[in-house]
Amino acid sequence: MKIVVTVKLVPDPNAEKRIDPATKRLVRTGVETVLNPYDEYALEAALQLKERSGDATVSVFSMGPEPLRETLRKALAMGADDAVYLSDAGLEGSDVWATAYAMSRALQKTGFDLLIVGGLTDDGSTGAVPGALAEYLGLPCITNARKVEIEGAELRVERETDGGFQTVRGPLPALLTTALTFGEPRYASLKGIMGAKKKTIAPMTLADLALDRAVGTGGSKMQLEHFAPPPVRGKGRTVEATDGASGAQAIFDFLKEKKLV
Amino acid sequence: MKDVIVYAEHRNGETRKVTYEMATQARALADALGGKAHAVVLGAGATALAERLAQYPLDVVHVNDDPDVDRYLLDPVVDYLEAVARETGPALLLVPNTLSGRDVAGGLVARLGAGIAADVTDFKVENGAVACTSPKMGGALVTVCAIKPADYGIATVRANAFAAVAGDTKADVRPLEKPAGKTYTALVESDVEEGSGELALEEAPVVVAGGRGLGGPEPFDTLLKPLARALGGAVGASRAAADAGWVPYNLQIGQTGKTVTPTLYIAVGISGAIQHKVGMRSSGTIVAINKDGAAAIGEFSDLLVVGDAFAIVPQLTQLIEAAKA
Repeated sequence: MKIVVTVKLVPDPNAEKRIDPATKRLVRTGVETVLNPYDEYALEAALQLKERSGDATVSVFSMGPEPLRETLRKALAMGADDAVYLSDAGLEGSDVWATAYAMSRALQKTGFDLLIVGGLTDDGSTGAVPGALAEYLGLPCITNARKVEIEGAELRVERETDGGFQTVRGPLPALLTTALTFGEPRYASLKGIMGAKKKTIAPMTLADLALDRAVGTGGSKMQLEHFAPPPVRGKGRTVEATDGASGAQAIFDFLKEKKLV
Repeated sequence: MKDVIVYAEHRNGETRKVTYEMATQARALADALGGKAHAVVLGAGATALAERLAQYPLDVVHVNDDPDVDRYLLDPVVDYLEAVARETGPALLLVPNTLSGRDVAGGLVARLGAGIAADVTDFKVENGAVACTSPKMGGALVTVCAIKPADYGIATVRANAFAAVAGDTKADVRPLEKPAGKTYTALVESDVEEGSGELALEEAPVVVAGGRGLGGPEPFDTLLKPLARALGGAVGASRAAADAGWVPYNLQIGQTGKTVTPTLYIAVGISGAIQHKVGMRSSGTIVAINKDGAAAIGEFSDLLVVGDAFAIVPQLTQLIEAAKA
């Protein structure tokens, strides 16, 4: 069984983001590029399924600017067998519609039995790519999985919902996304890190895909008009509470002043 | 793009509050675009919910009680919404920015060839195009995206960003025909609601959230719940508390959890790491209670009370209850 995990490379989510007032673009200087943290859970799920099944392989698929390619080594160090990296100037500025389309064609080319996608990307995307991708690939879309069992050609998934959880049964091939409750992603071992250097990251470009329509800025529906900085939130008052009563009174008076009680 | 279509998500036999907010906003957008405002209600109990939704300023509420909508994951909803959208022609679809709303939105992007704006908090119509404002990267920046007049557009809408106001006249409730020739494969075997009967966290006007400083699961019930109840709000948590297993994951607020924008946010024993900050910094008023006067949360709180939460919170609850009586 071939499991493919899609991962995205994003600016370090633990770094404070800011906008360059001149260019209105995100300042990337000094901000490291990392695997999207949600995607590490997707990879963890794939690696666990591989360990349980015994005969599965795990490939990583990513799409992004060429200089970021080596960031994929982390996924290989965690235990993925190989990687495919789609990189092409023609993809720049792709919206969800174009991104999901290009990804679907690339994934049809790599082939898979199970596709696992991280739940959300951390760099300001929409959470809509999994749904669109499943649609292009004609797959059942089972999102926010916290437990996955493969029984023959069928999947049984326990998934998080907005108000609780569901159990869902569906056929393979399928698209899954993982919830963070799936379990903490593993750390890459020293052996894994050394071994990753020998694993392949196969390049792919748009020329390999023979798309039926344009992607990139010209092939997108959504036009980004501009970035704006968020409303500024300043530091407010600080009150030292000597006991419970004085602390409670300070908050109560403040809420009254704000007309919140 | 003239018409506006609202996907009326519901759970526990209740339409989400964000649906009424979207219905109200749909009216304003449809008027600005010169089209009609629609809503689509599907699945168990849809007919009853449609009657309530018809009190909001919509033109048409499309309804089908089709049990397939609850029996199968995602695809039936996308089919029905696509059918309504094909009927109207290029339209703006409003979908709640929830876990299930995002899946629906993604499916519709591919089906309709639509532009999508996520987590929208404001709309502006100019020359038939719709500009959507979305906070990104946990509110670190704001983007404005435009959907062109000739295209289908989808906006996933943030709860609590728009007002919900009932209309003067009742909308026309119409049965919606089931899309033909579809087979579905992802079968929902069981559907469990946790904490049912309580306010959805994203929609609560007040959120009382707890973190590592609470030391265990009990204070969420004994300290935070009574305060949240007194304020008519919901209980949330930081990632540290969810990771420790003190509360279920669906109460987690932050980068890897939910984003909330209540009128009042009370953070109890939460240090205020970036992870948490990005999920709540757009709240109206932020009050923090923390032992540590130097905690990061003080940097973006309107009021930081340095003291013992275990002593302060019960007394605060009493003060609020007394003021209500």
